[in-house]
Amino acid sequence: MNPKRTMTLNLTDQEMSVLEELSTQKDLSKTALLRQALRLYQMVDSRISRGEKLFFEDSEKQKAELMVL
Amino acid sequence: MREAVHILDCQTGQLAEAEIFDEIGLEHFIETQATWRPLVLEAARGLAANPQQAMLIPRHFHWDWTRKEAELKLLAVKFFGISCAGQLQGIMKIDTVARSCRLPEQQGKPLVYIDYVETAPWNIKLLMEPIGKPQRYRGVGSRLFEAAVLQSEEEGFKGRLGLHSLPGSESFYIKECGMTPVGRDPHKQNLLWCEFTPEQARRYMAGE
Repeated sequence: MNPKRTMTLNLTDQEMSVLEELSTQKDLSKTALLRQALRLYQMVDSRISRGEKLFFEDSEKQKAELMVL
Repeated sequence: MREAVHILDCQTGQLAEAEIFDEIGLEHFIETQATWRPLVLEAARGLAANPQQAMLIPRHFHWDWTRKEAELKLLAVKFFGISCAGQLQGIMKIDTVARSCRLPEQQGKPLVYIDYVETAPWNIKLLMEPIGKPQRYRGVGSRLFEAAVLQSEEEGFKGRLGLHSLPGSESFYIKECGMTPVGRDPHKQNLLWCEFTPEQARRYMAGE
């Protein structure tokens, strides 16, 4: 197991509510969910930095590009 | 992370002390290219020479781990290696965000996805037989698979695991590991998607 460092995170009620909802939905602890979010953000950022694009496709195969800041 | 594990030395029939680790670097990828790939290609040529054995040519004979160097920096990707007798015996890449569960009872939940796993060619009997060389170790793939289950638990995924099985490995994952064959994936060369629930992972790790 790799050593971990602790941090305090301040969230609004709404943010905490979303975090709790997603944690339940994904069967993850809040910490695990936030670690997942960080990994996803880094992966998306890394690929966009390389010039790749991120698209969402709906049920009718319409694609919309997601612009990540 | 570095942990002692055991694999079977096929020559002596005794357990050999090996080490599983996650501090993988470019040097390990280069080692696979320098020491594994020539042997894999030699064995593939041997199999190709015999029409009855051509179907046994491993689908991964062209893999090049050095192409994955950029992924060493990604939090979502993790590599594990297993070494014994001073040599790399197997390597695995897992991903924690690229895929999610497909079984109805756990659909959409996160899992550890085994993206690539490869055992050194001298540990694969099927490859060594055509070139008249002995298989060295058994159990490398199983130790790596166990590491993936443990990583799933470490991530809070409760042992949930998924992979696309190459045709020659389907029986191993379904019969020996107890994974559920969910279905062929048309977006991944029609490979079979196999998945572990937490209960299946628990049973596997308990040896049940």
